[in-house]
Amino acid sequence: MRFYQTNEFGLFALIILFGAFFALATPGFASVFNVFSLTRIMSIDIMIGFSMMVVIVTGGLNLAVGAIGVSAAMACGWLIEAAGVPYPVAILLALAFGAFLGAINGILIVRSGLHSFIITLATMSIFFGLMIYLTHAQAFRVIVPEFAQFGKLRLFGTVSALLIVSCIFAIALYVLYRFTPLGRQMLAAGANAAASELSGIRVDRTYIICHALSGALAGAAALMVVARNGAAIPSMAGHLGQDWLLPAFLGPVLGGTLLMGGRVSLLGTFLGSALVTTLTNGLLQLRVGEFWIQAMLGAILLFAVLLDLARRSYLQRRGIY
Amino acid sequence: MTSLLEAQNISKSFPGVKALSDVSIHLAAGSIHALLGENGAGKSTLIKIITGIHRPDSGNLLLDGKLFHFSGPREAIAAGIGVVHQERNLIPRFSIGENILLDRLGGYLFKPIDYESVHQEAKDWLDLLELDLDPRTQVSQLSVAKMQLVEIAKALSLKSRVLLLDEPTASLTSHETVALFSLLKKLRDDGVSILFVSHKLEEIQEICDTVTVLRDGRNACDSQPMANVGRQDLVRLMIGRNEQIPNADLRDHKTEEPVLELVKVATELGHADINLTLRKGEILGLYGLVGAGRTELAKSIIGRYRVTHGDVLVNGQKAKIKSVADAIDAYGIGYVSEDRKQEGLILIHSVLDNASIPIWKRLSARFGFLTDREVIAAINPLVEMLEVRTPSLQQLVGLLSGGNQQKISLIKWLAANVHILIVDEPSVGIDIKTKAYIHELLRKLSDEGLSVLLITSDLPEMVALADRILAMDQYRVKGEIVNNRNYPEVSEKIMGFIHS
Amino acid sequence: MNARILRYLQSDWAGPLLIIVMGGAVIAALKPTFLSPFNIQVLLLAISVNAVIALSQMIIIGIGQMNLSVGAIGGLAAISFAGMMQVWELPPLMAAILALLIGLTGGLVNGFIIARTGISAFVITLASLSIFKGINLGITKAQPFYHVPDSVKAFGNTVMFGPIPWLVLPMVVTVLLVFYLLTRQRVGRYILAVGGNLHAAELSGISVKSTIMWAHAISGILAAMAGIMLVARLQLGQPSIGDDWLILSFAAPVIGGAVLAGGHVSVAGTVLGVVIVAIITQALVLFEIDPFLVQVVLGGLILWAVGMNRIREVRFQKSLKRI
Repeated sequence: MRFYQTNEFGLFALIILFGAFFALATPGFASVFNVFSLTRIMSIDIMIGFSMMVVIVTGGLNLAVGAIGVSAAMACGWLIEAAGVPYPVAILLALAFGAFLGAINGILIVRSGLHSFIITLATMSIFFGLMIYLTHAQAFRVIVPEFAQFGKLRLFGTVSALLIVSCIFAIALYVLYRFTPLGRQMLAAGANAAASELSGIRVDRTYIICHALSGALAGAAALMVVARNGAAIPSMAGHLGQDWLLPAFLGPVLGGTLLMGGRVSLLGTFLGSALVTTLTNGLLQLRVGEFWIQAMLGAILLFAVLLDLARRSYLQRRGIY
Repeated sequence: MTSLLEAQNISKSFPGVKALSDVSIHLAAGSIHALLGENGAGKSTLIKIITGIHRPDSGNLLLDGKLFHFSGPREAIAAGIGVVHQERNLIPRFSIGENILLDRLGGYLFKPIDYESVHQEAKDWLDLLELDLDPRTQVSQLSVAKMQLVEIAKALSLKSRVLLLDEPTASLTSHETVALFSLLKKLRDDGVSILFVSHKLEEIQEICDTVTVLRDGRNACDSQPMANVGRQDLVRLMIGRNEQIPNADLRDHKTEEPVLELVKVATELGHADINLTLRKGEILGLYGLVGAGRTELAKSIIGRYRVTHGDVLVNGQKAKIKSVADAIDAYGIGYVSEDRKQEGLILIHSVLDNASIPIWKRLSARFGFLTDREVIAAINPLVEMLEVRTPSLQQLVGLLSGGNQQKISLIKWLAANVHILIVDEPSVGIDIKTKAYIHELLRKLSDEGLSVLLITSDLPEMVALADRILAMDQYRVKGEIVNNRNYPEVSEKIMGFIHS
Repeated sequence: MNARILRYLQSDWAGPLLIIVMGGAVIAALKPTFLSPFNIQVLLLAISVNAVIALSQMIIIGIGQMNLSVGAIGGLAAISFAGMMQVWELPPLMAAILALLIGLTGGLVNGFIIARTGISAFVITLASLSIFKGINLGITKAQPFYHVPDSVKAFGNTVMFGPIPWLVLPMVVTVLLVFYLLTRQRVGRYILAVGGNLHAAELSGISVKSTIMWAHAISGILAAMAGIMLVARLQLGQPSIGDDWLILSFAAPVIGGAVLAGGHVSVAGTVLGVVIVAIITQALVLFEIDPFLVQVVLGGLILWAVGMNRIREVRFQKSLKRI
């Protein structure tokens, strides 16, 4: 397949197209501040997309991405503010905590044999509830200045530094899936667990690692939100972290990561999330009521899964699935 | 003889395999028509086409002389065609009566379902089969055999003119079979046209008056009167006379080291008292009918299921195989699955990715990374050696033909350097040429030191390849025989073991 | 006689009932106000609405799927109900009927897309949840409708007799209708048949597509019903109605013995599951435990309940393969 026929190119073209359209249609869109704001939100959405993507690859779901992310971020805030831990250490510990929560999901799922939907639905509630209880729903506002500074950092005067962080994670994930046995095992286990098990892959262990990775990525996304806000706020992902669910799916699904597992597109998820953020931002600049934007996003998701279905039928007709 | 239902020159292809090629069959009213063929011959596909689950690529279907095609089970049922499939198709938590009358329950708006009459009517159908069951029983509480009979009762209740039965006696006792047969004869006398698919030649000869044999998706014979066809003829039609599987020379491995021994092994799946010795360079055959437990034993050996009792020895040492990864990495045992598409291969991944799964860890041992280049270097030689026909190593395995897919399955284990290989039904759905190639390959590899445990239901294949043969039935080993390549003698001995 | 008792003990509602009786007794012993008429009334008000929410999800669990948009449909119906009465000045009964129709439509949209495309219900209802929520916000601009007619307010907050509120009435009627549907109506039996063994149902001639659409349509109506009841109880048309229904809508059926794979649900068990959740929530308030812990308890209950159901289901599946 030529490059211009690929899904990724299509997304890239759409981003350019819409970007150009919005820039022409409204003066605010192309302003330096808006581009900065746009790239900042984009980075976060991309990370949220990655955190769901690594679980979709295994053919499962992680409803708890928001809850885990917020928990990790609040843990970081507590470590810095209440425990006086230096912020680089706090960040690492927070990511580890996110991975830990993700691993709990993974272990529950493989031990019980239950679908990841119901397990992560339950843990979403448990993690979020515990977090709210422990923090008394209070935000940590005295985050070290470096956080907020990083959040405000601009490259070339317009692009948020957070985007670089997302790019680094993207590259790391790419290396994982292409150049490490673990990554390949994740893809195999996600495509066909039975065949992978019989070929010597420890499928259970692989699933747990995927969920841990998802938790760590969710934590990273939440830390980026903290950097943007300058504070760790418990409601950053909505009630139970639900607000993250839509962007978490939109990125991967638009990007071509099949819901059935076994295939992944890093670039696709990156561009998919980027497209959604661009559309949302552009429509806001056009003064389209922000309330209608949620409906629009839902419609995009619907469109994206219909596309996913079309891809699957294509594979089916070729006899591969 | 006018045909009630007729299939003319039906062809059907699925991606990668031509299931039916120009197949015809004529079902007359008031007859019991046998449909014979080996696994993969196309019997189930034909039935699914008649009942509307699949559409034929070409050919005609005629009912009462009129062209038809059904777009689904509902239309087939309405037209008077009843089916009992090989697998069970009941709603587990519903009662027998509700299952039988599932499409005729009534119960709309202000008229509730009248369970009294539902169960009463069901009882009538159960009585016809001499089934003493309470129609209110939940179907999940029945044995598999009873479930099959309930499904037959259900098909009867549809008052079909055409009844398709796929392996109806597979789980039945002889007593239940007798009752079923007298019922089928009665239906035949009433003018019903019955299609009877079965492996049991004695039953076919007892009750059927016409026979059609399929082989490799084609007619070996079409609607012949049973009176003209003897048992040997049937067998010959099913396996084909021009299929010359070259018999290899006899080999003796008595002096070789045992590489794999099972001593009084029991498994969590129900095996008990399994004793088995596989020597270096030997091909040990494991023969049995469907349900004998051979695949389950294989999967227990490689660690997918638990061995609950007894010892497994590899190269003379007691082995604790806790997982498949263990079996491969620590003990060098591999398993080529009988279900190539679901368990043997990852269809949406490439040839390269499929063949290299067991060696990823080994290839990345130095720095933890591996590139495609290293994988290609390991896999490509094998791909060429086995003459796999693929446009590239990146080709998705699902797009290859059955034979080439099987070769990839084998390459996987060759690359992993296993020294014991369990091969489960290697020739199902594979063209003749590749089948011969794989036989040669297994022979050559075993000459070079690979020890093979061969599971196959293809008796000629077994006799051609195996050095010794174990007969299994109902999760037990029933007997052992050294293969002297004399087909009639060996096959009779094995059957004797199984039916003892 | 003993066999009968044993069968009852093994049913889905016996366990929850036992928990309610024992738990209720313990709580009442420690805090006598638990059984006061006022408290009973509060409990019943919560139970009435939640039971309908739970039933809305239960139907979809019965067919072996999940409906994430239960809350969004309920919320949309709720603000439509309030809005129609306030802005178009429709009489409550007519507004209620129209709101139910909105629920029906929402459910049918879900059902139609799922049946036609075969895409997983999870993703479709995730998308539709956003769309319905978006429409909700688009109409209300996040502002509630304040002017709810007094008759409606009264219905949602006053008692029939004793401590039994009027709101219990629509709940009881709904419960009975759903029970009747699943046990004596073809549509209900087909929903459970499709959930129990889709392939077998299809081979028997059942139209799986229309069964799916029926199930989602009914689920939508029930969600709308709950939304309307909640408007009556809260005495305004809150756009946020439905935002927190997701966990509860799964917890109650699952506690009541529902099998997530489909084919087996219990109306009585689901209602008792709602009661358990209501009692626990109440108890947390009475014992002055942080109400945020309700989430933790709900999540824990779900895990425990699905774990139990899973064990039973595995045993059930094993028994199916018996010779």
